[in-house]
Amino acid sequence: MTMIDNTGAGALPGRPRSERDRIRRRPHRASRNAFLSPALILIGVFTIVPIVLTFIISFSDWSMLTPLTQLRWVGLKNYGSVLTSPSVLGAFKNTVIYVAASVVITVPLAMAFALLLYTPVLRGRNIVRALLFATYVVPTTSIVIVWSNIYASGYGPLSTMLSAVGIHPPGWLSDPRWSLYSLVIFNVWQMLGYYVVLLIAGLTQVPEELYEAAKLDGAGFLRQTWSVTLPLVRRSLFFVGLMTLINSIQVFDPVYLLTQGGPAGSTETISYDIQRAAFQYGQAGQASAMAVTLFMLLIVVGVIISAFMRRRRA
Amino acid sequence: MNKKLALFAAVGLTAALALSGCSSSSSSSSGGTQDITFLTHWGPDQVKQLKSAAASYEKSHPKTKITVQAVPFGNLLSTLRTQGSSASGPTIAGVYDLWIPELVKDGITDKAPSSVANDVTSNYSKGVVTSASQKGTVYGIPNEVDLYQLNYNKALFAAAGIAQPPTTWDELTADAKKLATGGHQGIGFITNWDSGVVHPFLSLLASDGGSMLNDDGTKSALTSAQAEETAKLYQTLVDQKLTDTSMSTANASTTGPYLDNFANGKTGMIIMANWWESSLQQEMGSKFSDVGTAPIPVGPSGTASSAISYSWDTIVNAHASDAQKKAAWDFLSWLNGPDSGTGGSSEMGKILLSMGSMPSRTSDIQANQSTLGTPFLTPYVKALDDSTPFPTVLGGQQATDAFQKDLEALLNGQLSAKEAMSRGDSDINSALSAAQ
Repeated sequence: MTMIDNTGAGALPGRPRSERDRIRRRPHRASRNAFLSPALILIGVFTIVPIVLTFIISFSDWSMLTPLTQLRWVGLKNYGSVLTSPSVLGAFKNTVIYVAASVVITVPLAMAFALLLYTPVLRGRNIVRALLFATYVVPTTSIVIVWSNIYASGYGPLSTMLSAVGIHPPGWLSDPRWSLYSLVIFNVWQMLGYYVVLLIAGLTQVPEELYEAAKLDGAGFLRQTWSVTLPLVRRSLFFVGLMTLINSIQVFDPVYLLTQGGPAGSTETISYDIQRAAFQYGQAGQASAMAVTLFMLLIVVGVIISAFMRRRRA
Repeated sequence: MNKKLALFAAVGLTAALALSGCSSSSSSSSGGTQDITFLTHWGPDQVKQLKSAAASYEKSHPKTKITVQAVPFGNLLSTLRTQGSSASGPTIAGVYDLWIPELVKDGITDKAPSSVANDVTSNYSKGVVTSASQKGTVYGIPNEVDLYQLNYNKALFAAAGIAQPPTTWDELTADAKKLATGGHQGIGFITNWDSGVVHPFLSLLASDGGSMLNDDGTKSALTSAQAEETAKLYQTLVDQKLTDTSMSTANASTTGPYLDNFANGKTGMIIMANWWESSLQQEMGSKFSDVGTAPIPVGPSGTASSAISYSWDTIVNAHASDAQKKAAWDFLSWLNGPDSGTGGSSEMGKILLSMGSMPSRTSDIQANQSTLGTPFLTPYVKALDDSTPFPTVLGGQQATDAFQKDLEALLNGQLSAKEAMSRGDSDINSALSAAQ
């Protein structure tokens, strides 16, 4: 029978180990709490309190022009509106399309660029990497001015190029069938460099020996990518996918600056609707209900993806 | 002991945070002096002028101290929402008239004293007074007024052999047909900007004898024959490809292709507000002289041209102390009155004209005839008395945004005239009831 040694150096003889550990930790608890309290208070005041307040406000009618003490309780009315309002449902639909298109385009494209830029034989790859990342660093407001001209019908470079090769350019921001996808193109362009850098970091973790072994087994580039690279960077890919999803769900700046939700509501998204309901219409209750619903949706999506990944690992 | 220390640390930190967050409130008076804050979205040049006017007022009223707080237009309403309900918030604020119903409902804005109310009702046009009032009570002093007229490119008109701007819808359609050649659009209808979409439509509707809401502003009136006629005009122009939505989008700064295409001579006609004069001058340079202004063409059921107007007002915080409120109203009366400036113009009139805006006070319009009497602005000034104020009702902004979508769907051929008005009617009613 294996005996457990409870009498190590510094141990308090005659007491069970768990109790001795508790006694040993006691003097540190207060100092630990004192050191942590500034950060915890800040997190509490600026993160937890607003989340709790948002949840409370979502059950009330409040215009933000009166004190919080004058909240008027309306129960689930705001949630009822969120689930039945054609405008809000339209915004949810647009958000889902925007997120799906962003993820489907961004993740494979970022992987392709990462593979290309990780190839040792490519000259000038650091310059390309820096250029790609630059789009992420420049503030959206500045970039949007450029993109509003790129998308301009008739005289914008995109339309001019398409016209030059005999293709009738669409109304990028004026046609309700195109406007949302125009924002997706902008999002992919803006975020791609950031995700490429993340995936390149993931690629550096793949052991070179595995490629050598694969080569000895006669595997070509595609086979190596499929059987070695992708399985080993799946965590990075998962992270990039999750980041794309979360960032896309929160899309606001390009909508606000380029289309204002139009034309015909084709680019109204949840974040834009939340801002408009709260700050333009003074319907903070409705806006909070939308924010809570979006928050819950994000949690559900995150849990589903995590569960899927856990199952894959198992 | 340690627990006590930790507790004190926590309480101390919380108290410090709370105090640092709350200690910014300013005292309303010190030693009998009234401190008042003027919140505005004006640019640096106008803020400088306002500060200068305030300094001049302080000289003759040493017991009043005025501080100007400037925020970008986009942050104005959110600043009011976050600070307006507090006694230490801005004492005076410049607001868009459509915000007044909500500010009144939530008790943010003070009723104008009778002397101020009498001055407003006597010295401003009826439409502007209506916009500054709720249920007959005046809540603000109007300053800037904006309204819509038909702007057209005289060079394009001459090239198409059109001698005069259209006065009726039939003439409008016929002229648009002549102008829509060689990549030009006959008439531009702005998209992606709420007022830019809705106000021109409502100006045409008003010139056809119709309106967006019923007389008491409680329900939509878009099921009227006039509304359907106006929507059919849009549909005709869309079906005959006399208007092109891709040439008339707007961006967040209310510029973009609609401005570029008109300035570059690609758009023959457009219905726009007076304030875009400076943008046109900047973009067109010497070709600005090609721009003509004409009244909104009259529809088949209409008898006279009428343009939608909206205004800006200065209001006083109802939560301020009585002494502060009195000081604020006194300052505003002086700032907007004919004695504050020179030649019968108020200081407010001078500030507005310096940024290309039209003052609404009758004496300011008369005193600044030389500035307002340009070929571009004269029709706007003349149209002021017969203008139709945009209804300042609770939910007005939601109703505008909802109707914008329906009009954009009509302009993009997604809805017919009848469908757009039917949906607009329902959307506006929902928006109005949601805001109650």
